[in-house]
Amino acid sequence: MTISTAPVSDPVGTDAPPAPARRPPRPGRAREWWLGAALVLPALVLAVLFKLVPLVRGVLTSFESSSGFGGSEFAGADNYTRMFDDPMVLTSFRNALLVVATLPVWIVLPLILALLIHQRSPGWKFFRAVYFVPYTIAPIVVGIMFRQILAPDGPLNALLRFVGLDPLALEWLNGRYSALFSLVAVALWSFFGLGVMTYLAGLATIPEENLEAAYLDGAGFFRRLWSVVVPMLRPTVAYWSVLCASGVLIWLFPLIYALTQGGPGDATMLPEYLVFLTTFQFLDRGYGSAIGIALFVFVAVLSIFSVRHMFTEGTRKPR
Amino acid sequence: MFRRRLAGVLAAGMAAAALLTACGGDDAADGPVTLKVLTWEPGGVEYWKQVKTSFEAGHQGIKLEMQSVPFDKYPEVQGPYITSQSGPDVMANNAGLELFDRRGAYVPLGDKAAEITKDLVTYSGACEGFDTGKPCYGVPFSYQGNVLYYNKAVLTAAGLDPEQPPATWDEFGAACEAVKKAGKTCLALGLSGTFPAYWDFPEIARNYLSEDDIRALLAGTLSWKDPKLVAVLGKLAEITTKGWANKNAPSITMLPDGADIFQRGDAAFAGTIISDAVNWEAFGKALGDDKLGVTRWPTINPAAPLAGKFSGIEGAVYGVTQWSEKKQAGLEFISWLAGKENGELWVKYGKGQPLNKTVDKALLPSSPAFLKIQELVAQPTLHAGVMLSGPEADALARGWQQVTLGQLSVDKWADQMQQALERSPTKKQGK
Repeated sequence: MTISTAPVSDPVGTDAPPAPARRPPRPGRAREWWLGAALVLPALVLAVLFKLVPLVRGVLTSFESSSGFGGSEFAGADNYTRMFDDPMVLTSFRNALLVVATLPVWIVLPLILALLIHQRSPGWKFFRAVYFVPYTIAPIVVGIMFRQILAPDGPLNALLRFVGLDPLALEWLNGRYSALFSLVAVALWSFFGLGVMTYLAGLATIPEENLEAAYLDGAGFFRRLWSVVVPMLRPTVAYWSVLCASGVLIWLFPLIYALTQGGPGDATMLPEYLVFLTTFQFLDRGYGSAIGIALFVFVAVLSIFSVRHMFTEGTRKPR
Repeated sequence: MFRRRLAGVLAAGMAAAALLTACGGDDAADGPVTLKVLTWEPGGVEYWKQVKTSFEAGHQGIKLEMQSVPFDKYPEVQGPYITSQSGPDVMANNAGLELFDRRGAYVPLGDKAAEITKDLVTYSGACEGFDTGKPCYGVPFSYQGNVLYYNKAVLTAAGLDPEQPPATWDEFGAACEAVKKAGKTCLALGLSGTFPAYWDFPEIARNYLSEDDIRALLAGTLSWKDPKLVAVLGKLAEITTKGWANKNAPSITMLPDGADIFQRGDAAFAGTIISDAVNWEAFGKALGDDKLGVTRWPTINPAAPLAGKFSGIEGAVYGVTQWSEKKQAGLEFISWLAGKENGELWVKYGKGQPLNKTVDKALLPSSPAFLKIQELVAQPTLHAGVMLSGPEADALARGWQQVTLGQLSVDKWADQMQQALERSPTKKQGK
């Protein structure tokens, strides 16, 4: 018997494209795969150990009821249903939404400042350095510093009164909303330098000619910002947006700790601080974990759109 | 070849690490044991330096390694240790519910409690339910409680007699008006944090509650909607709503901000404690012993059974941790803390009220404020502040801030306190 190597005719139809011939696996391919896996493994192990395991542990704890630091028992969904009746939890998430509402400022302000520096406005070298300095100060120190600055008789109000703006000399940390927005402003002061640096890195990738051409065409600052910079900087804007969306609530924690401890009343109580308070001061680990998981979902929902957008931008093929 | 050698080196390293770990566990027989002690250093740095020196001199086999944490940050540092069941060999907590909440972290003293504490005036605050017949979790050595300090110079400038401080609530109100007219703050106060709950609440509560009520507060069986407790909240609210305290009280802490106002000489009164920090010694140094006065908080209901008493409580209680592998050394250390030698160090360097009865009386400070405190503490009663759970103390402080800012009524405050009571893990368990 002989074996023919001639192609066999298609029994179904001749119009269908021929099935791609299966190539034999290259000998180096398996080695590449193992090398790739070996390179990824350390990061994977770290992610599992320090991200996934604590998260799973947190989820499990959130279904437990604990008394003090003693033993715990399974509580079903009690901790989750309890949250809906707890005014402190509801207020903390309402405050979180108010903080999230300030995100446009977090995204746009550093962009404007970065563009001003990038186009070498007067004093750009000085401001490039100065804007980044607050980011290098430990947030807890920033909190202690601003506790003095924002005091009713502190330097900020003294300055406002000196320049004749007495009505603006508020009791910044005493008011229901002024305390929360003062806190956000302090956090913004502390972190916007990082945003400026991020945008400056992105701006460095935009060809100078594009901005010059727009300038020669008579485009003003905001026209250039909106029509040239933003479209070309979309991946960087998306990256900074994700960072802000997921980070803004976490960045506020040390400032709450040093400045307001969630007060006055519950005015600056945010879920992150409430998790800490519930777990370590009220000794209610199960409930603290449940609030933590709710916060995780809140941040995940918030970030998912930005992450998706960033992924789309990052994987878009050049035209 | 190289791989084999590398594997050999790694295996040898791991074996050595395992051996070292195994040897490092229990009380070492071949060298001094190092005890890790978590403390907020009540009595000050110098006192704790003396504790370390004196204890180590008398116990050659034990070394002390102090982890000092500021008092207001202590719960945040201690909490993770307890949750993870690891860390120091000896820790401290305030006597009362704070200690009971964390009792799972400490080794009960059992039969040894009576022997260790035989020379102490009292140690019930270290035991469950303030009952020495129940498990005790540590050893106190100081006595603590609340008084009202005043600056005689500010009172004089306001036209008041510094030798006759206000004794009733109405007199206090009148004195505050006079002090305010003189351009000073009447009562230095910081409401951020839970100190006001521990310090000011019991002084008002004495005018409305009996000792049974205070025990019911500890057990979680006294409702915050009870008219007596609502009245206590109402009087607390008056302190700020009547303008007796500094305006920024809701957004500053008592330690250090509120105490600073008093120490700078900008306020007439400050309601703080008799031992540890912000006591007669610290204020005497800042203002001068001759200018510092001490009095009981003004009386609201003179007929109340506890109105003329002193809300007293044992100070910091030191206990051996459950997870310590050096329990025997830890027990030796806390037993020494309860003894005469430490009692005298406490008086000499900590400038505090000792619990040990055998302390040489000649060592007691001669400050007029300290002597006055001796009179006040002579008639002690239960301290209502330390009966509050974490959620209750937190709700008390936050509610007071909100009431001060006009964001909350006293009745709503009582509702919030009741909710806090209902979500207190320890008190829930008690029920």
